[in-house]
Amino acid sequence: MKMPRLSRRQRMFVQCAPFNEERIRDRAMRAAVFRVHKTDEFANQREFDRAVAALVQTVPIPEGVTAWLSKGIYVAAPKRTWKEALQNPAVLAIGIAVSVIAAIFVMKLIERMNEFPGGTTARRLLTVASSVHSLMLDPVKTDAGALGDYFFMKHRLPHYDVPPEFADLRTLGCRVFDDEEGQRVAQIWLIEKHMQFFIFPAERDLKTGAARHFSGWRYVDQYRWTGVVQERNGVCFMAALRGSEKDLAPYISKPKD
Amino acid sequence: MLGDAGKAQEIFQAIMHDAALRAAEGELPNDRLSIFRDARYRCLGASEAGLQAEAIELEEHEIDCSAPVQIAKLEPAQLAVWISAAPDPQRTALALFYLDEFDHEELLALSELKTAELANLIGNGRQEFQAWLNATFPREQAFEEQA
Repeated sequence: MKMPRLSRRQRMFVQCAPFNEERIRDRAMRAAVFRVHKTDEFANQREFDRAVAALVQTVPIPEGVTAWLSKGIYVAAPKRTWKEALQNPAVLAIGIAVSVIAAIFVMKLIERMNEFPGGTTARRLLTVASSVHSLMLDPVKTDAGALGDYFFMKHRLPHYDVPPEFADLRTLGCRVFDDEEGQRVAQIWLIEKHMQFFIFPAERDLKTGAARHFSGWRYVDQYRWTGVVQERNGVCFMAALRGSEKDLAPYISKPKD
Repeated sequence: MLGDAGKAQEIFQAIMHDAALRAAEGELPNDRLSIFRDARYRCLGASEAGLQAEAIELEEHEIDCSAPVQIAKLEPAQLAVWISAAPDPQRTALALFYLDEFDHEELLALSELKTAELANLIGNGRQEFQAWLNATFPREQAFEEQA
């Protein structure tokens, strides 16, 4: 095979390319050698170089030299800098793995911190909120705060009250239904922002049967719906809308009497 | 580099002696190449003190496919003498190149040459050595022995 056309730089690399493939660490040199590796001229050059190197290897090493060399190492062990250590693939892989584990741990921790008794039910009810149409509700047009008495009188549900923060909002309709766990859930549809309220029993301790309390308002979200939940007298109230925490925050920021 | 085993051994022992002293003082160099660099300078110094090869224009021949057969007939000492007779930096370039110890970057660092210079010196060295081989083992003789 004939020598292909090479640039001046490639010709230089071919001329001084180490005959031992392991010693070619330069990418440009490797590319130049790859272009000519099947040519007769380069094959001759390689054979020539290898024959000379083989002859060099036969040079007898005096005993004294071997004795000196066996006495010790005369080059200091390379000191590893932090930068070099970080570039080590093994260290890099361990670093990435630890970062991922740490990120998962932090995410789980944040999830845990946001959890509260009744959170699972609240998320399930957000799914209900996204799928229920207002036509399924009994039309009741009043202030949301007035529905507490309605639920008690008609459905015998004590403490199913709307907190003062949301009591002034006007309703479109409401209904009471049994959820998957057989709990009585009150659902109220509002005019404002197509908001929905859910009132449902708080989660209970399996051993004692007592309601598990939590203080303040807690946010939950599910499929672009966000709810804010409060527990009072063993009953949870959730205001839900399609949006984010920002949309609900104004209602609960200023507690009303 | 020197073409003289005795001188080479003296230089080697001097380098090792210095290295041992430095090791005892805890001043070992970090660079693996430093010992080779030291050896190169000492060899150049020693060769300057002795007989100098006459500067002559050497003939150059294209590398022949029968070169490995010709080289196999050589004694290591003959090769050493031929390389040591080359003018520096060609001598350094050839000696380091055929030691098969260094990659391209290391060769450049040790020989203090640029790629173009190194390529030129090695390329010319090959062709000059081929011409010398052809003169030492003429073709007819090489073919006869092969047969």
